[in-house]
Amino acid sequence: MSNSAMMLRRREALRVLAACMADWWLPRQLFAQRTSAARPRDRRVIVVTFGGGVRYEDTLAREGWVNIPHLASDIVPQGLVYPAARHEGLTGHFNSTGALVTGTRQNVDAYGSEPPVTPTIFEMFRKERGLPPEEAWLIATNKSFGLMGGSRLRSFGDPYSANVVLPKQMLISTVKAAVSTNAGPGVEDRRALAERMMVALDEGYEGFGWRVYESNRVLSADVKASLAKSLLAYFNDPASPTSGDELTFFMAKEIMNRFAPSLLVVNFWDIDIAHYGAYSLYLEAIRRTDRLVHELWQHVQASPQYRDRTTLLVVPEMGRDSDVAGNGFANHRSGDESCRRVWLVAVGAGVPKGAGTERPIRTLDVAPTVADMLGFKMVECEGKALAELT
Amino acid sequence: MQFTSPLTGAAATLARQYGETLARLPATVHAFILVELAKWPLLFAPEQRYQRALLEHLSRTPPHELEQAVAGIARIEAESGVARLSEHDPARFQDASQALLRTRGLFVGWRGEVDAFFQTIDPSLEAALYPADAPRRLVVQIYGSGIGVQRDRLWKPFKGMGVRVPLDLEGAGTTEGFLRQLAGEVEAGRGAPALFTRTIDSPLDGWIVESDAALHAVYGAATPAALTGLSYSRLRPYRDDLTRALYHKVQDGVDSPQAFAAYARSLRIVPPAGTLLNPADILLAFVRDVLITGNGTLLVNNTFVEWAAIQALRRAQPRILITRFGVRDKLKPFSSMVLFSQPRPTDHVPIAQDPAGSFIDVEQLSYYIWLNAEKNPAYRSRTLYLFLAEDVDEMLAIRSDAPAAAPRRATAARLADVRATMARWLDAPAVQGSGQPIAEVIG
Repeated sequence: MSNSAMMLRRREALRVLAACMADWWLPRQLFAQRTSAARPRDRRVIVVTFGGGVRYEDTLAREGWVNIPHLASDIVPQGLVYPAARHEGLTGHFNSTGALVTGTRQNVDAYGSEPPVTPTIFEMFRKERGLPPEEAWLIATNKSFGLMGGSRLRSFGDPYSANVVLPKQMLISTVKAAVSTNAGPGVEDRRALAERMMVALDEGYEGFGWRVYESNRVLSADVKASLAKSLLAYFNDPASPTSGDELTFFMAKEIMNRFAPSLLVVNFWDIDIAHYGAYSLYLEAIRRTDRLVHELWQHVQASPQYRDRTTLLVVPEMGRDSDVAGNGFANHRSGDESCRRVWLVAVGAGVPKGAGTERPIRTLDVAPTVADMLGFKMVECEGKALAELT
Repeated sequence: MQFTSPLTGAAATLARQYGETLARLPATVHAFILVELAKWPLLFAPEQRYQRALLEHLSRTPPHELEQAVAGIARIEAESGVARLSEHDPARFQDASQALLRTRGLFVGWRGEVDAFFQTIDPSLEAALYPADAPRRLVVQIYGSGIGVQRDRLWKPFKGMGVRVPLDLEGAGTTEGFLRQLAGEVEAGRGAPALFTRTIDSPLDGWIVESDAALHAVYGAATPAALTGLSYSRLRPYRDDLTRALYHKVQDGVDSPQAFAAYARSLRIVPPAGTLLNPADILLAFVRDVLITGNGTLLVNNTFVEWAAIQALRRAQPRILITRFGVRDKLKPFSSMVLFSQPRPTDHVPIAQDPAGSFIDVEQLSYYIWLNAEKNPAYRSRTLYLFLAEDVDEMLAIRSDAPAAAPRRATAARLADVRATMARWLDAPAVQGSGQPIAEVIG
């Protein structure tokens, strides 16, 4: 890119920020500065989704900033924001996240009985770079996401898929077991729940929809030790967290600590409580997700294996219905623009600081962007790598 | 496509009468109409009128125009292979065709074409079904006592609309007192306050939908009731039965959400006697659908109120609807993870209320009720919306024929004046009592 083109881009970014964002978002520097990017082989990418979907008006629009204070005041000023991102395709959970991790619209069974039909970033990354399973992880929530780690293609699939763990599914099973009998302690006894989950780990996590692949490093023993540690951290946390996303967060941290995967996708999910129809609970979940994203980014900064070589991409899985044209925040089935309008925030290695561009992008562009960052190519991909990040 | 639908009575007569027209429609539209006709005994009168009007309109449309109007739908049916499906049962055909459209990536396009088709014909149907001189309607939304109302944010979604009326709540210190002053006492021998009995023709024309049971206690105590009433708290035994059945199904294993929904629809559990003010079959089916198909309606009181009210407005189109929201309980730890299970007696996590969260919820939910009413031609331009909170000496009134904001009324009105305003709006002067209609609202 020529210098003049870069200057224009920076000016454009500043204009967009001035127009779209609050004054307190504006960077102190006159021009955005791109941070140095590690070479692809040292590079790490973490993609965090606001799973369940959030509406633009409840998050990145001015009236929504109150719900994403950490993103708005801490992360966006350090990174680059695309306020005009769009999700195309079906507005169900599996297909929208499937589009994110493949760069191609997916039209498979909405409830996870089928894997994506085109290769995922996990498979392309591992196959092209000849990497072991612990290099690519998906930490998700919805049980249907068990097949999200790899496609159905014969030349890809299991040998190259991501490790998929669904921490909340284990929590659900444990809580259900606790309340299914009148004998023994119930959900009020955190220690007992933790012990039940430890036992569940030993008895086999495949029953929770997980897919963890073994490599030469006897991964399963490592995984069990790692997950057990995260469970203890979760149950012993002074704040007594009870949400599935908190457990997802603890497991993500522990997997980062132990395996330092180069590619990690974290799908937070509490936001989908919007289906209960309680707006306050939906907003509360957005705020929790915002906090967990910030804590994850702080963890990146504190980790020698991730600091200065990691790019974090934060993007809603999709939107949710508008009030007027759709069915409101509780649903995402109308397919209206509110269901599709999202945003993307990037921060970290190789990302211009304090920048933004109103250029429309698609969530389909995430996969090829990740591929570019990690030095591999996406085939059969509808999306285009985001030039500002590559 | 030849469908075999076991229709009886009026529905069968309609299907025969308009058989030629139905045969000219794309299979997905044809199946949709037959599925609706199959529900005939459980359709409310406005729904039946709509189906009749739709068939009548389609039959009057010249064949080439009809073909043109549905060309987009037919094209996608052909492209997707829906047109070649051999399923003859309309309901099963609907499921199969939608699955196929999704698999082929054509669902969004098909849905757009269907929407476009109905957008072209609905204005004609609306003109026939809802003449300009149809009676006025009334929707009252009440925030129950205990909701953590923030005065400076109250009715924020309606900013720039209607008129704020200060209220003199003297003598209305309790919920019961407030409600009595608002709509009056039950008329002796008539089963409901005069505001209802003098303005509606049938119990299905006047609805009360609430989180607790206060409206039922004050307005609908008599038997047989003159009103239709749904109360989340009164439905508790029924909700518990449904929850237990659904939980067992979840534990036994469910193939898909569709299979789960089909199971839920097949349940023959009914509310215990006395739960519903008006236990007609059509309402038993209605309440089951509300609890099973509405997101969160089994679990969250105010979500139930909102969804039931919206469905009542859409389907039964009552002349008068009064809703009353309550305080939502806080979710217990891990409760979202055991969606349909019920806490064991040994899980002694105390119930805690969430007044502040409830306020945020009901602000949004009351707005959705208003939005959905205004989308409906039965209510658009002929409805008075009143918003009240039991602990607040102010009311918001919005006339759908003149929704723009008007200056706040200077002097306080009594609840008797509000009642007189409602009576005047509904053209029932005999109900006015001692109050005076509020000029800023009535004009």
